[in-house]
Amino acid sequence: MEFIQMLESLLGSRNRERVLVFIYTRRKGYAREISRFYGTDLTPVQRQLERLESGSVLCCETAGRTRLFSLNPRYPFLKELQALLEKALSFYPADLKDRLALNRRRPRRSGKPL
Amino acid sequence: MTLGELAAFICTRLKAEGISCTLSGGACVSIHTRNKFQSYDLDFIPDFGTDRKDIRRTLQTAGFIENGRYFKSDETRFYIEFPPGPLAVGSEPVKVVITLEFPTGTLSLLSPTDCVKDRLSAYYHWDDRQCLEQAELIARDNPVNLTEIRRWSEAEGMSSEFKSIRKRLIHG
Repeated sequence: MEFIQMLESLLGSRNRERVLVFIYTRRKGYAREISRFYGTDLTPVQRQLERLESGSVLCCETAGRTRLFSLNPRYPFLKELQALLEKALSFYPADLKDRLALNRRRPRRSGKPL
Repeated sequence: MTLGELAAFICTRLKAEGISCTLSGGACVSIHTRNKFQSYDLDFIPDFGTDRKDIRRTLQTAGFIENGRYFKSDETRFYIEFPPGPLAVGSEPVKVVITLEFPTGTLSLLSPTDCVKDRLSAYYHWDDRQCLEQAELIARDNPVNLTEIRRWSEAEGMSSEFKSIRKRLIHG
């Protein structure tokens, strides 16, 4: 999927923007989910998640074997970052915005057909 | 060495090489509560513009080897980390850093008031009850500026949360 880079020149990495936009829009995300969404390799996404966590931009909770990342509410520049991501999103094509927003996180009873 | 002595040793050693950093996090709680809460992590926030390779070189001469994010020595059970700055509590920069003297050197660290804010930040955002208890312990053992903590809580958008826990910070 061709990705329209809004912030790559500022953030220094296309995948860093992908990760941040995904997590900002969906509140939480894990590496495989993000790489699948964008159709990109897993390793670069994992690398960005780890760097952003090391930099305290993201925080991580473990659910079983999955490391779930979210924006760190204690990051000193959180409000400004959220404003930047929101502005970048406003330039995204509608279909990409819709796909980012489409996120079933509510529980589904086990055994229920899809 | 105790946690405080080690922290002062590290801080002084770095300072001698022109590297300034401030102790933050759980280790500050240990120091301000005289180890009623014991932390094994020393989180030092380096000043703006500090190069990690200078930290690495200095700590290596002191016997601390880098392992991932941490620096460790066989001679101590404590882990040393340098999380990236800025030195902040919530979204505000720390304005005043205090110093304490130890036999091993001078330690720069968060004041009791800022340490309470740092703990409350974790409580406010993650409902971390242990951090609330730590804030209470600090306030019990040290004079803290409750007016400033209230102001900061309001600036963080946590006014009602502060109101619900305020009494726990008042002692004497």
